[in-house]
Amino acid sequence: MATHNPAHLHPRPALQARKSLPSSKNMVMAFHGRAPWYAPDGKNVEAYVVGIAGGSASGKTSVARAILSALNYVPTVLILSQDSFYCAHTPEEIELAFNNDLDLDHPNSIDTPLFVKCLLDLKHGRATEIPVYSFVHHQRMPEKKYIYGASVIIVEGIMALQSPELRALYDLKVFVNCDSDLMLARRIKRDVQERGRDVEGILDQYLRFVKSSYDNFVQPSSRYADIIVPGSSNHLAIELLVTHVKRQLDARSLRFRRMLAEANDEELNSRSSLLLDGDEQDRKVVLLEQTNQLLGIMTILRDRTTNRGEFIFHADRLSTIIVEKALTLIPCEPKTVRTPMGIDYTGVARDDRLVGVSILRSGGPFSHGLRRVIRDVPIGAMLIQSDPRTGEPLLLKSDLPYCVKSQEQSGEVKVLLLDSQMGTGAAAMMAIRVLLDHGIKESHVIFLTYLITRAAIHSVHRAFPCVQIVTAAIDPGLDEMHIPYNATSLLVGQSSGEADFAVRVVDDIAEQPHVAANGEEADDGHVDPREALKTEKELSAEKFRVPVKKGTEELKFSREHRRDQSSNGEKRAWVISPGK
Amino acid sequence: MSSPNPVSTCLPASGSNINKAQLPENALVLAPTRQLQSLLTIIRDEKTQRGDFVFTSDRIIRLLVEEGLNHLPVIDKKVITPTGKEYDGVAFQGRICGVSIMRAGEAMEAGLRDCCRSVRIGKILIQRDEETAQPKLFYAKLPDDIAQRFVLLLDPMLATGGSCIKAIEVLLDHGVQEEKILFLNLIASPEGINKVCTRFPKLRIITAWVDEGLDSNSYIVPGLGDFGDRYFL
Repeated sequence: MATHNPAHLHPRPALQARKSLPSSKNMVMAFHGRAPWYAPDGKNVEAYVVGIAGGSASGKTSVARAILSALNYVPTVLILSQDSFYCAHTPEEIELAFNNDLDLDHPNSIDTPLFVKCLLDLKHGRATEIPVYSFVHHQRMPEKKYIYGASVIIVEGIMALQSPELRALYDLKVFVNCDSDLMLARRIKRDVQERGRDVEGILDQYLRFVKSSYDNFVQPSSRYADIIVPGSSNHLAIELLVTHVKRQLDARSLRFRRMLAEANDEELNSRSSLLLDGDEQDRKVVLLEQTNQLLGIMTILRDRTTNRGEFIFHADRLSTIIVEKALTLIPCEPKTVRTPMGIDYTGVARDDRLVGVSILRSGGPFSHGLRRVIRDVPIGAMLIQSDPRTGEPLLLKSDLPYCVKSQEQSGEVKVLLLDSQMGTGAAAMMAIRVLLDHGIKESHVIFLTYLITRAAIHSVHRAFPCVQIVTAAIDPGLDEMHIPYNATSLLVGQSSGEADFAVRVVDDIAEQPHVAANGEEADDGHVDPREALKTEKELSAEKFRVPVKKGTEELKFSREHRRDQSSNGEKRAWVISPGK
Repeated sequence: MSSPNPVSTCLPASGSNINKAQLPENALVLAPTRQLQSLLTIIRDEKTQRGDFVFTSDRIIRLLVEEGLNHLPVIDKKVITPTGKEYDGVAFQGRICGVSIMRAGEAMEAGLRDCCRSVRIGKILIQRDEETAQPKLFYAKLPDDIAQRFVLLLDPMLATGGSCIKAIEVLLDHGVQEEKILFLNLIASPEGINKVCTRFPKLRIITAWVDEGLDSNSYIVPGLGDFGDRYFL
């Protein structure tokens, strides 16, 4: 077993390298945003892993892709090919490989420990970096491929069912069976076209390595398979497979937002004192000193008559104050310098392994403030929007700095997570979960925000107790309101208020008969967060009852209902209330 | 005016700021956070290039301006939020102006304007008279209605306090009330701060750091050299 060489690390892969990568069998398909892959306690739900083995050119990849396209309602499906995990070779082995004398069909040619590690990372929802193997150079390439965020992982390769460590990770094991002559014919065609080899070499290699390997290792591993699929004309088999996978996934699906609200409700009932006396005994929440200037800025930001220019200016000014406050939480090392007066001065220097990550769109205003304070700080972004159908947060995109993506470095990186406000905490939890999945330590995450609710603090800290939060104001709770709503504009990510993040839509629970009643509640202006949450629970109880009455599937019902409602021009939303 | 103590070439670790009990009541020092210390370490380092010097001192200036603005009075104000709720807030009174002591003080104007977009800014030029060795007013351009305003007086270094006192006298001559003057300062010497505060007990000084003292040339030590030269030239 060759060990993989850590000297391959590049902090910033060259752009060219990406282009020169050989066309890979690994692929990630994302059909839409990724719904929460973790429970309200912040723990990841494991991804569903399918292992597909079979002879060389038996059609494993086609089976994998057929499953992939049949699962098109799953947000992210990853195909992981064993080809990436060939061991790194010595120069002698490379010479053998160019003479077609290197046995790549023996189980020992696979870097199984690395394969298991990568698959384990992915199964547990962590980001990983897989090696890149080039069949043109017969060598593992220096760059690595960063992979993150799959709900379903399909592993394919001739030895996929060979190792017991790998088999232990699969939820479903598939063997693709195909006639030898068909496999050889396909192999010749593929190797000539895609890997630039000549027929004689291919045949020679086939007789010496491939055939014996298939007979000795691959074919026998079929006994571990849960299902054996033919390598051609296999539509029916794939349909059966897909039905099974769908049923498994449905059993795991989470109604995250509802669970969050219910969990909060329970917590509130059992530990109400904690929230009601507003005790920030939890030192993980840093509230800016409520100075005159801060109160003045908050007044301008909250005032609905404030024009956009004023709003932007003061939001920007406040962002700098918050960032400066957050930086006081970052540890410093002693450093001695000499002043122009010729005198030594013992000061301190800040740890520079610091990055910012803004939750788009509303975290955007912070990045200017952050750059004003640290000129060259890397700023990543995550686009998280709530799904207008289910109200769940959806991760649409994450662009993280290189040092976060690198497994070797992320353990030391400190992250300033930026969002203008936190209502239910759902988007914040998703963003924090993404960071933890990348190996960032929980205590290294500092969340910066203008405005937060007690419920959000609670949700976030129940799941991630070590995350620090820096905020300019804490509001008592969420109120439900109905605000003008246009379904199409919401889908492209435009919440109703541009300048007024105080009305940013943080949830979307529409139930037509309740809009009027709820509007009254909002006017009453209750402040108890339990009230707000109770209302939602009652609502969700209603929501479950109605479809049963009509004998309709719940999801389908709510979608149709949504369509009716959008024409009505109003939507229900959670908004942070200043508590008057 | 020379320092009473001979200055050693290596001062003890400056981990904490000067004992606040030694300072006059009307002198305020920013909280000595590690972050602030790391910024000061950068601008004190003689190897720091201008780009980093300007950027870092601008950051400290911004902290100073934010702190200075906190000492201005506000008035209560109720507003309606976009959610339809009432919020008990406060409003700024306005009626402030900045006055920079040329030339180093000009470096602080941008920081003030970053926080108060349309603030009026006046200028005072004070130089040492070579004959008398006393600070002398060469030029003053101040807003007409300065007497009705709070004045943020800007000068990054407070060494002996001579030019600062001269500038304050100019402001008082223009009718500014002493209690309406806030002097914003990056690094002060204990001598300078005591001298200004004793002379003008109603004025308030806000400084980022109080250093060890002055050397025989009346430069602040350990200091950071000539602020204006490092920022502009």
